[in-house]
Amino acid sequence: MRAPLIARLAWQDYCRDGRLSACSVLALVAVITPLLVLFGLKFGLIGSLTERLQREPSVREIIPLGGGRFDAAFIAALAQRSDVAFALPRTRQIAATAELLRPAGERRVSVEMLPTAVGDPLLQDIPAPTAAGQVVLSHTAAEKLGVQAGDQVQASFSRQRDGELHWQHSALQVQAVLPLSAFERDALFAPLALLEAVEDYRDGFAVPALGWPGAQRKADAKRVYPAFRLYAQALDDVEPLRQWFAERQLLVSTQAAQIAQVQSLRRNLDLVFWLVAALAVVGALAAVAAGTLAAVERKQRELSVLRLLGFGSAALLLFGVLQALYSALFAASLAALLYQGAEYALNRLFVHTPGEHASRLLPVHYLVALGTTLLAAASAAAVGGWRVVRIDPSQGIRDV
Amino acid sequence: MMRLQAVSKRRGSASQRFSLEIERLHLRAGQVLGLVGPSGCGKSTVLDLLALTLAPDQAERFSLHAEGGEHDLAQLWRNARRDQLAALRSRQIGYVLQTGGLLGFLDVHDNIALPRQLLDLPDDGSVERLATALELDEHLRRYPAELSVGQRQRVGCARALVHAPQLLLADEPTAALDPLNAERVMSLLLAQVRQAGAACVIASHDEPLLRAVGVPVLRMGCRRDGDGGVTSVLEAGH
Repeated sequence: MRAPLIARLAWQDYCRDGRLSACSVLALVAVITPLLVLFGLKFGLIGSLTERLQREPSVREIIPLGGGRFDAAFIAALAQRSDVAFALPRTRQIAATAELLRPAGERRVSVEMLPTAVGDPLLQDIPAPTAAGQVVLSHTAAEKLGVQAGDQVQASFSRQRDGELHWQHSALQVQAVLPLSAFERDALFAPLALLEAVEDYRDGFAVPALGWPGAQRKADAKRVYPAFRLYAQALDDVEPLRQWFAERQLLVSTQAAQIAQVQSLRRNLDLVFWLVAALAVVGALAAVAAGTLAAVERKQRELSVLRLLGFGSAALLLFGVLQALYSALFAASLAALLYQGAEYALNRLFVHTPGEHASRLLPVHYLVALGTTLLAAASAAAVGGWRVVRIDPSQGIRDV
Repeated sequence: MMRLQAVSKRRGSASQRFSLEIERLHLRAGQVLGLVGPSGCGKSTVLDLLALTLAPDQAERFSLHAEGGEHDLAQLWRNARRDQLAALRSRQIGYVLQTGGLLGFLDVHDNIALPRQLLDLPDDGSVERLATALELDEHLRRYPAELSVGQRQRVGCARALVHAPQLLLADEPTAALDPLNAERVMSLLLAQVRQAGAACVIASHDEPLLRAVGVPVLRMGCRRDGDGGVTSVLEAGH
């Protein structure tokens, strides 16, 4: 069997039969284009919704409810899990507050303190403060104080001992200010060490590193944290993590319901897409098979002459399959072009947020579509063209 | 080159039955033979058998001497070795069809060149040589639909000879032509066959034409049997 020769003959016949070839291409385009548009819509819509959720770190946050007792090792182990993006201990909320004062100003703001570290999803692109004395402020806190990144603020921490109010002051440098969308309350993000120091101070202990006086902490006393800040790696990790905590009798609050809503929309759209795709593909397969069947009938004389010249059944079958592949290739390309037009129109009509898509396909989707089309066309043509094995070389002699 | 002995083929049954019997036929290399007889007497069936496209029912001997060896065709048919038969056919046999049997999607040049391409033979100029000899050199880039019947028939002759087969079979090659054209095509064909040294069997109802171009003829006769069927017999050849 001379595959290149057959490919050339099939191509010449395909071109000579241009009008019918164009019809078979259009028949396939009519199936592939709507499928691409439908899939593009599904992928773009779900992708945008999912991305929107993904962009919002609070959707992935898992908040322990009620007072817990966690040690550092337990939380460090959580942070190591592959389904956890970030986990950090929190000190007691009542101890995690600070009074902020701008050195030259009168303005005073009471803020909550949140521990942070490298990889904190809330900080997004802002590098986490790691050095002592460096903090990140929330937008509202910075606004009330009238400070910007790089400014100094004075932080005051108070404790009550034997009916007396004690104060400690600490100069902090504002390393960055969070955008409003990241955090909406008055807050200060600082390394965990500062929060632990403040908690110790409020508990009446001394903090030698900062020169704060107080009672001596027992050396072997392990610190117990009442809570932690934890973010799941992906949306799909939230529900399994919730179950994991539930199995350990730990009550947590999650955004699982909001995630489940998007996921159920995705599942339903998947179902619709595959249903439509299955129907359309069956139709396309039947069309290609019928087209090849008709071509075998129509070209019986030519095919029998080829057989008389010594082409075998496999070669004749390949002849028909190749022509179906030519059609599939043209149809897939044309459909991709038409889809691009549709994508442009849909995105212009429905999308107003940059970076989001109403309809979208990745290069891999085009490749899968092309591969599927070629495979389906080839197999349908093979089924439809099976009759060539019955073509008798002497039919060509008789000149039917 | 090709030997047939007690070869028979039967089609249909009862009053629709048609039987062909070939007592003995021995084709030598370079031998040219005309096959004549009334239409429906099985000339085409004989050619089909010789072209290895039709399986014989019975054959005492059916063999082809080619490529330095003896091929037992009867055995190949019994074992249903169709691919091997097709390979022998494409190398050793050329076939001229009634109306050319050209492929409409190929131009004259590509139609003639096809058997060589199929056999992966190098381009040795034989396409152009035959085209010139058969007076087709001006039409090499035209498509069959643009040619007259006589021109198409000459293209068919060129295609049948281009791969230098040992045996050329022609089924009523001039039936569709007017007498003047018929003799011209037949003479051109025979000149090429003789030049190539190939054996040749031409089936035709036109015995005077065959005689006019100097082709010895072998007659086919047929008789109606008691059951209403027809038996056709090829007289013993040499």
